[in-house]
Amino acid sequence: MAAPIFLLAPPRSYTSLVNAMLGQHPQAFGLPELCLFNVEKLVDLWRGSEGPISENGAVARHGLMRALAEIYGGEQTTATINMARAWAGAREDWTSGRVFQEIVAKIDPLVAVEKSPSYTMSKIRMQWMYEAFPDARFVHLIRHPIGQCKSLMAINEGAFAIKVEAIEFREDHCVLEPQIAWYDLNLNILEFLDTVPDSQQIRMRGEDIMGSPEKHLAQIAEWAGLRTDAEAIEEMMHPERSPFACFGPINALFGNDPNFLAGPVFEPHKPKIPRLSDPAPWRDDGGGLYPEVIEMARWFGYE
Amino acid sequence: MSDDKAVSEQTPIGAQPPVSEPKPAGGDKQKPPFLGTKRLSPVPINPDTDRADPTKLAPHQEALRQAMLNVFTAQKARRSLERQVQHISPNRNLAEGIKILFDDKGQPPANVPLEDIVEERRRLEYHVKWFEGILAELRNRLVRVKEVEDYAFEMLSRSLDDE
Repeated sequence: MAAPIFLLAPPRSYTSLVNAMLGQHPQAFGLPELCLFNVEKLVDLWRGSEGPISENGAVARHGLMRALAEIYGGEQTTATINMARAWAGAREDWTSGRVFQEIVAKIDPLVAVEKSPSYTMSKIRMQWMYEAFPDARFVHLIRHPIGQCKSLMAINEGAFAIKVEAIEFREDHCVLEPQIAWYDLNLNILEFLDTVPDSQQIRMRGEDIMGSPEKHLAQIAEWAGLRTDAEAIEEMMHPERSPFACFGPINALFGNDPNFLAGPVFEPHKPKIPRLSDPAPWRDDGGGLYPEVIEMARWFGYE
Repeated sequence: MSDDKAVSEQTPIGAQPPVSEPKPAGGDKQKPPFLGTKRLSPVPINPDTDRADPTKLAPHQEALRQAMLNVFTAQKARRSLERQVQHISPNRNLAEGIKILFDDKGQPPANVPLEDIVEERRRLEYHVKWFEGILAELRNRLVRVKEVEDYAFEMLSRSLDDE
């Protein structure tokens, strides 16, 4: 069974695009966000949430339902989504790892590629991934903190920052501060990857991939033992060809970032990168990045 | 570096190996200096879940956090309502959408940008897809309700026969 490739990154770090691009490699299968390792057992994905704004609501199941419909039913329709629900019902007391193993075995010899940014919220979740797949490969995807935070705050009013308690307390009130999420989630990833052999991990800046996709995707493919010929690289330039790069049927619409689902075509570009000393545009006091965030961003190669 | 200058592949990255290169296997990997340091979230971590747990906040912090959540929820509801109001005004939306394609004599403007036409076509396709989806879901529910209704009538007729 081919070891899967997991993308580890906070949300809004080019994960949807990179996941779909890698998934279009002829030897790979790009999955939607399965969110399986958010929970220990499959049934917990149906057991509701850990709070009113938890990530384990019905939408968290859309990716899994769409993947099962596509893999086992050959298409994503209302009927095959219902079949996927039955499939999951029959395995409700399985561990998430066992369910994932079953999916990976089904698509073998293709290499599964998956990213669910919610995995990075807890090292326990990433450990479950590693326990299920001791030979898995991990791509740590990074994005500049200002770009990532701006993007995070523009989605769903910045609700993700609440999920990870990215809060700054001031004298008489508190505010959402997305750079806390950027730092804490990257720290989770770094601490988790410290337990993984070097040969099973690679780190990439999303901006580099956007600017020179052929070069950097080829690097990842080579590292993962996949073909790097021109045909394989060309396939990776077309994330829109993925069966999951669109909205799903009415009973499983999402499974990925809605912005990506609405416009999955990749256009190479060099993202503008602000200086680490620039003011943070989401702050109302003109403040900038925290010293800890700047230090980590420098370590990642940003200036 | 100016704001509009993208980071090039030769960006200096201090003592680090270039981050876009595969990290070397073996023992010469440079360990991140942040390992084991404190998280920036002021909310204490629950060791069982390895996630921030707001129930462990001091009472005054908990109150501030709750106040922020209330404001957040109210803003979100207001914006959601604004969007809904737009959705329930289809005639106005359609009229505004078509305005770019037809002038007051019903003719398309001579220099209508292709981008606008493509965008309008995509927007309409998106609406059609949504309506088809809702229609499919309603039909699905209708079939289920009819099944339940048929079953109920059948049970009723049986019970009447038994009497």
